[in-house]
Amino acid sequence: MLCNVRMSAQTGIRTHETTGATLVQSLTQTIIKKLKSDPYFWLLFPLLLYVVLIAIYPLFFSFRISLFDYRLTDPNQIQTFVGLKNYIRAFKDPIVLISLTNTLIFVAGTVSIELLLGLGLALLFSPETKLAQFVRSFLLIPMALPPLVVGLIWKSLYNADFGVIPFYLKQLGMDVGRGPLGELSLAMPAVILIDIWQWTPLLMVIFLAGLKSLPQEPYEAAYVDGSSRWQSFIYLTLPLMKPTFLIAFLLRTVQSFKVFDTIYATTSGGPGNATTVLNFHIYTVGLTFFDMGYASALANILLIVVTVLSIIYIMVMTRRQL
Amino acid sequence: MQKKSIKVVFYLLLAFALILGVAGCSPAATPAEPEAPAEEPAAPAVEENKFEGVELTLAAMTDQYVTAFRVLIPRFTEETGIEVTMDELGYVDLYQKLTADFVGKTAQYDLMTVDIVWSGEYAANLYTLPLDDFMERDKAELNLDDIMPVAWTLGEYEGKHWAYPMAGYANVLNYRKDILEAAGITPPTTQEELLAAAKALTKDEMYGIALLGAKGSAVAQDYMAFVQQHGGSILDADGKVALNTPDNVAVLEYFGELFNYAPPGSTDYWWDQRETAFRTGIVAMMEGWSIARAGYENPEISSVVGMVDVTAAPVSEGMEPQYGFGGWGIGINASSSELKQEAAWEFIKWLTSEEIQKEWVKNDGAPIRRSTLTDPELVAMYPWFPLMLESFEKGDGDYRPRIPEYSIIQDALGTYVNAFLVGQETAESALQKAQEQVEANIK
Repeated sequence: MLCNVRMSAQTGIRTHETTGATLVQSLTQTIIKKLKSDPYFWLLFPLLLYVVLIAIYPLFFSFRISLFDYRLTDPNQIQTFVGLKNYIRAFKDPIVLISLTNTLIFVAGTVSIELLLGLGLALLFSPETKLAQFVRSFLLIPMALPPLVVGLIWKSLYNADFGVIPFYLKQLGMDVGRGPLGELSLAMPAVILIDIWQWTPLLMVIFLAGLKSLPQEPYEAAYVDGSSRWQSFIYLTLPLMKPTFLIAFLLRTVQSFKVFDTIYATTSGGPGNATTVLNFHIYTVGLTFFDMGYASALANILLIVVTVLSIIYIMVMTRRQL
Repeated sequence: MQKKSIKVVFYLLLAFALILGVAGCSPAATPAEPEAPAEEPAAPAVEENKFEGVELTLAAMTDQYVTAFRVLIPRFTEETGIEVTMDELGYVDLYQKLTADFVGKTAQYDLMTVDIVWSGEYAANLYTLPLDDFMERDKAELNLDDIMPVAWTLGEYEGKHWAYPMAGYANVLNYRKDILEAAGITPPTTQEELLAAAKALTKDEMYGIALLGAKGSAVAQDYMAFVQQHGGSILDADGKVALNTPDNVAVLEYFGELFNYAPPGSTDYWWDQRETAFRTGIVAMMEGWSIARAGYENPEISSVVGMVDVTAAPVSEGMEPQYGFGGWGIGINASSSELKQEAAWEFIKWLTSEEIQKEWVKNDGAPIRRSTLTDPELVAMYPWFPLMLESFEKGDGDYRPRIPEYSIIQDALGTYVNAFLVGQETAESALQKAQEQVEANIK
């Protein structure tokens, strides 16, 4: 057994030597020195390796590919270096602008309403009554469902001719037209509603955790000073909840930017381009046209947009806290 | 000692990471492997147990014919010893999974159902194995003349066969006998009559015609079907993509007018919703593939049993009748091992033989052979077979161009025809933008 390990170790070293990257060698030497002085760094190693393989490597690969003209379906798999051409193309592509606008509308719509509803629900169900506990556990169900399944269910609920929702709307004497997903003006609100239905419970859970961890002393002091419940909510609860807000907001913003499955299952970005979000456009370019270079460029643009927004938000929130 | 072993493990992991990185970075530069050698001696055809224990995987579209696959595959295994595992996939997923499999040369699927419109792309990229050598070798047992000429479009591209005909569909017009009779309307034979009939039959909760309007392949394919029925084409005389011609704009206007007499949700219909509309009895007419016809007589899924009849798809007035033809071929993965390719060919040969085709059609498959379409027992079962035979005789399998750029055309039409239907674009601007999108993406 031991012998086996040693054997394979030797071959491992040999492979390493033959790849012969001196830079990597010197880098590893410093890492080894560090490890010798602080052996507990070993505990980080599996995770680091995982991150490198799953996140860092694909990131660099996608950046590299975005500088190439690379069509996956090309039988010879030729990659031609084109510099920033893919990025320039993105700025000329009319659908990129449309889908970026749609993405921003989607993010603004879902995140703002979900934050408000989530906070409301959290306040409503934070007292430890039997009913609140019961309802809380039921509200978690939408979150546990795969978004694709949720999308398909809502699609059939929304169907203008056989769906449940238009059926009742018609009973109420309303004109449903082509159905919520078929009308230009209604399609975006309709998919936003699906997202709200699914993800508000997540925010409720985060806010509940935040509420439970608030210190009691300020409230007691405020009570003694004769503040009303509304006043203690505005002047105590909200400011104290700021870190929780930051987490919830960031989490949902990033998730919302990446929305794909709900759109894919319900409208495929239609009618026309009314619900085409950036991620769906990337999918079309990458997995229908198999134009990997351009798709990677679009994905990197999305990444930059999300990163910039996140940084701005973190800066704003932390400055206020100081 | 301990430190040394730690160092060793570290190097191991590092080497592993490097190897992975290197393998990932280098483009798969190895050129496509040459096709299976044609010079292979044709002798070992009847070798006993050659295929015993060979396992094949089949990627099948979840069309009606999967029922037939489920029935027939165990029988094939019993007769030949070849195991076949079937993966049932939806249209979009099937296309994407197969492409990923082909591009990566992972040979996850040895056999696949190939939509008529994919054959050009598969041929250009050498994804599937050209079957001509096999066909030449086994000419004697294949009875090729019996296969309807139009059925070859299911897999032939530029003179080679990239998929073998498996299930042929004709575009037909289904209509409700009872409703048309009550309204005193004879089944339309021209597009002009179709529009008039749709208009006359739309009242209250009843609609004239069911159409495909959902963004994506659905609306694109339905629009192309109507272009064909008006004698038009989305390619010009040189075979270049020409979507924004005045003729095509006129057809799009016509298509939009038909939607006035379709259920209001039609702009969101995929194939299944269109079927549901017809089966639940809220529409009087529906154009569609012949394979769905048998389902209308099944009381479990249809509330219009005995009320449906079928006729040839109407064409524009004064036009020489030509009928849209579509369906599926079955192909062999070019990256599969030679033994598996041989075994896969055995499966295709068996499945498309006259005897098995009869069983295939009885279990919801679709015909490709003249002998199947004229078989007295089957004609008694499916009285619309003579009509299909006629549609096949005058079938046009190329109205959706089977060129490598097809998926780009379909995506552009799928977006902008839908945008026109919901009022976002005019007919001209929709086709203009579709044309621009196609040109931007074709290189």
